[in-house]
This record gives sequence, C-alpha cells and structure tokens, in this order.
Amino acid sequence: MAVGNATQGGKDWSKVLGMGTVMVLLAIFSLPTLIVLLPGMLPTGVAKVCDRTEQGYATFCVGGLNLCGVFPYLMKLWTDDHSINAAANIISDIFSILVMYSAAGFGWMMFMAIPPVVSAFLTVLAQRRVTFLRTLQEDIVTEWGPEVSIIDNTDSAPPPAKKRG
Amino acid sequence: MAEQPLETEEPGTDLPDGLVPPDEDALESADDSDGLMPPHKEPESSGRGGPVLLRERYLVDSGARLPEFDQPSAKAYAVEDRRDLANKVFALVCTPGVPVRMDDIIAFRTMDFPGVLALIEWEVVPWPPLGQSAMVVIYEKPLGGRVIDRLRRKDVRITEYDVPRRLTEPLIEGLQALNEKIGPHRALRPDNLYYLDEDMEEMVLGPHVTAPPGFDQPADFEPIDRATCQREGRGTGDIRDDVFALGVTIIHIVTGYNPVAKVKPENLIHQRLENGSYTALCGNTRLPLPLIEPLRSMLADDPAIRWNHTEVNNWVTGQKTNPVKKMSSPRAEVPFRFRKREHLTLGTLAWHFAQHRSDAVRAVQSDDFVNWIKRYPEGNATLETIRGAVQTAKFHTESYQGSDDYLVSKLSNILDPTAPIRYKNLAFMPDGFGPLLAVHWGVKGDPQEVAQLLAHDIPGLWFSSRDKLNKPLLDAQKNFAKLKSLLAINDPGYGLERVVYEANHGFACMSPLIAKNHVVVIEQLLPALEQAANSADTSSRPIDRHIAAFIASRFDQDIHPHLKALAAPKEDTSIIGMLSLLAFLQWKLRAPSMLALTSWVGGLLGPAINAYHNRHTRDQLEKEIPRLVRKGSLPEIFNLIDDAEKRQEDGEGFRAAQEEWLQAEEEIRDIEGAGEERLTKAERSGQQAAATISIMLGLTVVSILLVMEIM
Repeated sequence: MAVGNATQGGKDWSKVLGMGTVMVLLAIFSLPTLIVLLPGMLPTGVAKVCDRTEQGYATFCVGGLNLCGVFPYLMKLWTDDHSINAAANIISDIFSILVMYSAAGFGWMMFMAIPPVVSAFLTVLAQRRVTFLRTLQEDIVTEWGPEVSIIDNTDSAPPPAKKRG
Repeated sequence: MAEQPLETEEPGTDLPDGLVPPDEDALESADDSDGLMPPHKEPESSGRGGPVLLRERYLVDSGARLPEFDQPSAKAYAVEDRRDLANKVFALVCTPGVPVRMDDIIAFRTMDFPGVLALIEWEVVPWPPLGQSAMVVIYEKPLGGRVIDRLRRKDVRITEYDVPRRLTEPLIEGLQALNEKIGPHRALRPDNLYYLDEDMEEMVLGPHVTAPPGFDQPADFEPIDRATCQREGRGTGDIRDDVFALGVTIIHIVTGYNPVAKVKPENLIHQRLENGSYTALCGNTRLPLPLIEPLRSMLADDPAIRWNHTEVNNWVTGQKTNPVKKMSSPRAEVPFRFRKREHLTLGTLAWHFAQHRSDAVRAVQSDDFVNWIKRYPEGNATLETIRGAVQTAKFHTESYQGSDDYLVSKLSNILDPTAPIRYKNLAFMPDGFGPLLAVHWGVKGDPQEVAQLLAHDIPGLWFSSRDKLNKPLLDAQKNFAKLKSLLAINDPGYGLERVVYEANHGFACMSPLIAKNHVVVIEQLLPALEQAANSADTSSRPIDRHIAAFIASRFDQDIHPHLKALAAPKEDTSIIGMLSLLAFLQWKLRAPSMLALTSWVGGLLGPAINAYHNRHTRDQLEKEIPRLVRKGSLPEIFNLIDDAEKRQEDGEGFRAAQEEWLQAEEEIRDIEGAGEERLTKAERSGQQAAATISIMLGLTVVSILLVMEIM
C-alpha cells in the first residue's frame, strides 16, 4: 500500500528499493550503461538532494536537461561498442562530461529563471484586474453615491491590504 | 407636600410672535361690570384705519365705531352693504386669542331665529386697527337700539305687569328656538337685549358667538356653580343656565338697577353659596309679588329643580306652574373661621379653601375643623373621607398626588360635589375646559397649569366624586379621556396643541407663521401659509406643531399616515410627510395654485430628493421641481418625489449596486490581501513550468536521437 511504503524517517523505502533493483539489474545486464549514467546523471542526484519543492520540480528540471546531455553518449555506447572500456572512455572524456554537466546546469538555470518571470506576469495580470475592479467601484459610487460602499460592520472581510510597491 | 412639574414636554408656552395680545384689561372689565353699562373702550389702534371688505359685499369701516353695539369681547363697527344700501347691519370684531363659537356661527348663518338678532355673515379679514386678521361677524342692526339705554332714557317703560309678555316671552322664545337648533345662548344680560324696530315693539337677544359661553357674562348672571368658575371656564351649559340669566335680567330691568352692585364679588359669591342665589342677588330689594315665585324658580341653584323653558313658557302664558319651594340647605350651627371669613356651609368652605390651598391643608388637619365638621349634618362621613384623602396625600409625598393643590382639589370635591373642577388657581366646569385652555394660552400665554390638570387627571377626580353622571357629564368624561390620550403623545399633530384645537373649534391657529392671519377654519390655512411664504424664514418648515395639530383637529380626513411620516426621526421621511400632508390638503380642499408655498416647500425637499440613491434620478428630480413649482401644485410635486414605482426601482437598483460593489471589493481584497500566497503560488507555477519545459526538452532530444538512429 502507498501509505505503508512511507516508513520511518520520511524515506520512501519502496523507491529506494526500486532504484536499487534497477541499479542491480543494470549492473548485471548493462554495466557500461550504468557506468555512463552514474557519473553523467550526478547533477540530477545533487538536484534531488537539494530540491526543496514538494513535487521535486528542481529534480525534474535538472534531470530533464541532464538526460539531454547524457542520452547522446548512451546512444553511442548502445549502438557502437557496448563495453566497459567504451563506457570508461566516455566518462573519462572531459568534453562528454562537460556536455552532460552543462546540460544539467542549463536545467538548473531554467529552474532559477522561469519562476520569477511567471510570477511577474501573474502580478501584472492581478494588478490589471484590481484596476478594472476599482474603476467599476468608482462608476458605481458615481451613480449611486458613497453610501453604496458602506459595508455592514458585521462583515467579516479583512480590511484592504496595502498595495505592494 | 411636594409639587411635581408636568411630565409632558410643553412646547410654545408663550404667545406666538405674530399674535397681538388682546386687551386683557378690557376683557377683565366685563366681569366687574354691573351688567348695565356696556364697555365703551376705544379700539386698539396698532395699525391704520380704513374700510375692510368682507365677502366682497360688506364694507366695514374700521374708523367708525358703534359702541352701543359693543360686546365685552368684541367691538362694533359701522358696515355698508354694497349690494343693498338699505340693509342696516353692523360688524363685531372679535378679540384675537379668545375662541369664538364657530359651530354656532356656521349654523346661525344659515338659520333665522325669532327673538334673536340675526347673524348675516362672517369672515376672517385683515383688521387694520389690530395690525392682524380678526374674526368679523356681521349682524342685523337693531334699529331700536339697546333696551337698557332706552329704559335709562325713559323712552320705554317695562313694569312688572309687562315682564311676562313684553320681556320674558320674546326672550324665552328666542332661547328655546336657539336651544333646539344650536344650543344655549349663554350671553343673556340686560345690556345684550335690543329692540329690533324703531317702535321698540320687538325685543331680541343680542350677539352671543363672539366669545365662549358665559365669557362675557358678569358673574351675577351665571348660576352659582358657573359663577365660581373663571369666566373662560364657565362652560356651554344648557337652557337652564339661560333661564337663570333671564331671571337676573328681569330683576335688573324691573328694579331699574343692580341690587348687588355695591357688594364685593367675593362676598356676593359667599352669600350666594351660603344663602342661595335668589336671596343673595335680590338683596333687600322689594320685588313685585307676582314675580317672586317665578324669579325664585328661575334662580334656583340646583339645576334639577330650576325652571326650564317649558315652565317659563307656562308662566308667561298663564298656565299652571310648579314653583320651586324655598328650601334650606344643610348648615352648621356655629361658624368655622378660615382666614378671617366665617363659614356655615361646606360649599363656601370648599370655595374658600381653593383660594388658600396651603392654609386649607393645615386647616383640615386642625382640631378646630375636626370638631366643627363632626357637628355638621352628616359631617362624620365627610370627615372620614377627608382623612382618607389626607392620608393618601401623605403616602404620595414625592409625587403630584401629594401636593397641596391636588389634595385641595380632592377636598373641594368632597366638601361640595356640586362645585366646579378646582385645581390651583383654576375653577371650571367640565364643558368649559376647552375655552379655559384656549384663553390661558391665547390671552395669558401660559397653558401650563391647564395642561397639568389634564395630565394629572384632575377632571377624573371630579367625575369620580359625583354620585351619578348624566349624559352630558358622561360625554364630558369621555371627551377628557380622549384629550388626555392626545396630550400624552408628543408627536407633531398631538400634544397640548392638539388638545387646544380639538377642544375649541373657534380658536385660531397659534403658529407664529400664521398667527396674524387668524386662521380659524381649515380652508384658510393654505392661503395663510401662501402669504407667510413671502415673509417667513424659508429654511424652516411650513408645518410646525401648531399647524400639524390644527390640521389634525380641523381636517375631516384621515391624516394619521401623514402625521406618522411627519414625526419620523429620519429627515427625508419627515419632509415627505410634510409634503404629503400639504399636498393632501391642497388636493382635498381644491385649493388654487400656491406658488410661494410650493416654492417654499420645493426648497426644503433636498433630504427627500437625496432619499433616492441614484444620482441620475436625483438630477432628474432637481430639474423637474422648478417646473412644478411654477405650476404651484403640491400634489404634483408629491407625485414626483414619492413615486412608488420609481422608489422601488431605486431601492432595488441600489441593493444590486451594493452587491456588485461588495463583490468587487471582496475580489480586490482577495487579490491584494493574498500577496505572499499569490507569490508563492506564482513561483510554484514558474517552477512547474520550468520542470515541464525541461522534461519536454529531454523527451524531444531523446526522441530525435532515437529516430535519427533508426533512420
């Protein structure tokens, strides 16, 4: 059961077990792939450790682009020479490592840059809505007088918040 | 013992600004008169004289006095009938502040009574000598002049043998006819009898409508119960009171003088209470033998045994009569001395106690009084009742019921149940309450005492002290209950103002706005307000407490909803109440266009217009009102301002607008109030977007590489 999978210390032991099983299976049946994946996807592992979002957006963001950087070398390994030696050559090649880690870094940059942009966009939208509503209220007051804005004291709505500068 | 102030809030205890107070001395002089001499006072001249046109027919010359036709409460002036110069008439100008007998005036004008001077016309007109409007009554001119003047000049002689046929018969006929159609005359005295013709054949009763019943009468001509009252409180009475006055008139005419002219008024009252009116008023005069029994019967103090008009008619026509026997009233063997006056009867004591209330309270608790009253016929029972009243007063020391005035009022009822209602310095009959209040307010400017006695239910004490109540008294009791309930309400249209107009149909509205116009009937009100609009402070309202009460008492339509609105604490509702009342008056009375009044009211409609929420509606109303003001139509303004459909639409629209405004406000608060949360949400959305883009890129690269490899 899903609930039962979450055990003491907050760690999801089923995931750990699953990952361990995949690793063992990869080690048994495709050790060169594992040799490339482990160091190549290391930034994703680091992102997973650092990720404070509940949904693991940082991990997905870094992992997605990290995979972009790793996958060409995996393809080469799988199609040319699927050996431990070839895997070691890829890993030891500074250019391939740079490609893998740069892709991961680009992913991290995206994770850092996109949220403020989205937030700013949403704020502008909200401000435009507030302006529209204020204009509507002014029109109502012009037509019906200030008494239209008198709200019953029993109203539980909080007082208007100050606008952000 | 403590005296409590009147609980009700009394507005306007003074004379209104616009009202010229009447010559009180001239009025008072009527009581001092011996009944033979008419008052010959020059008119008050606060303004210029000149002719005044009445009903577009009668030209009253305010500079031409006719003192021989004066009444104590009204001055006589020469009149010219412009349609019939041969028609001989004269005018009586009534005293402002003194209520006239309006019901009698209206009824009298449409009827003709034998033996009574004919009332031709009436109207309230501006009267230059007074500088204000006054009630003017046009009477047929008696060509033979005043009877008493003719007797003095020996132009005519009335002997004891002429009394039944030449004096009593025409007068009793007039009294009877008047009583059947209108009510008692109550102004029968020698100086108010006239000869209608120059040959002095036809004797008639003079005017009686210019003052309250008995107001113009010297006390001698009033039965003892009414004689001890203030003259404004003597009450309407009935024809037996006229018969009494007729008896005294006969004595004066037959003897040629007033037998008690030299007796001090208070001594005469004392003698009348102690020995009976007949004995006291005749004094030592030798009356003709045939007149003694009829006069004793006409002057009987007990109205139940006093002759009525039928008995007088029987005497005049020589039929069998039932003369009143000389009866001795119960009296003490030894006198009780109170403030230097010796009393043998409870009646005189009650009358004297009422004049010295603090001393009276001490006196009734003294051993002298107790010993005296124990020896009085049936005095023990009276003593017990008095002791009960004193104990009750001691029990209520903190309230008005413990005051000397209240206790003495009770004592007066106990000692003399036939006495008038007495309270403080007031003494009046139940049917004289209205004029009492009117004169105290209109002439003396202070209605407090009268209002207090009504609030303290002093008449209730009087009614409860009487063994049995006849129909007039039961009616009076009901009337007092009604007046008291009106007094208890403090809204406009009620209170003491309502009481005074309800109890006096001939009392002019005392509102300072229209006091000078002397508005007596409701039809005069709107024209008076129209006139007032030109000079009044138009920031004030045209309906004050006096006008509201006047309308409520004189207008025969149901105006309770209007009064309720007028009394509303919300200014707009109150203004609409005022407008609706005036509009209702103009509509129902079919009053002509009222430009100035409409303009005045239109200027006060701000709060009523502002009661509409919608600004466009307000602008529309403000543009429309000047057009209707120019038409002078209050009903149209009212229809414009208080359009029910428009008001409903406005109310519904306002509620919808309120709802819309509130929703917008809540949304704004949601947006502005949830700042941190919104930022967090936006950041999360950004992270999600970044993750999605990254995964999509990853999948795309993987897919492209796989496809390239396959191809």
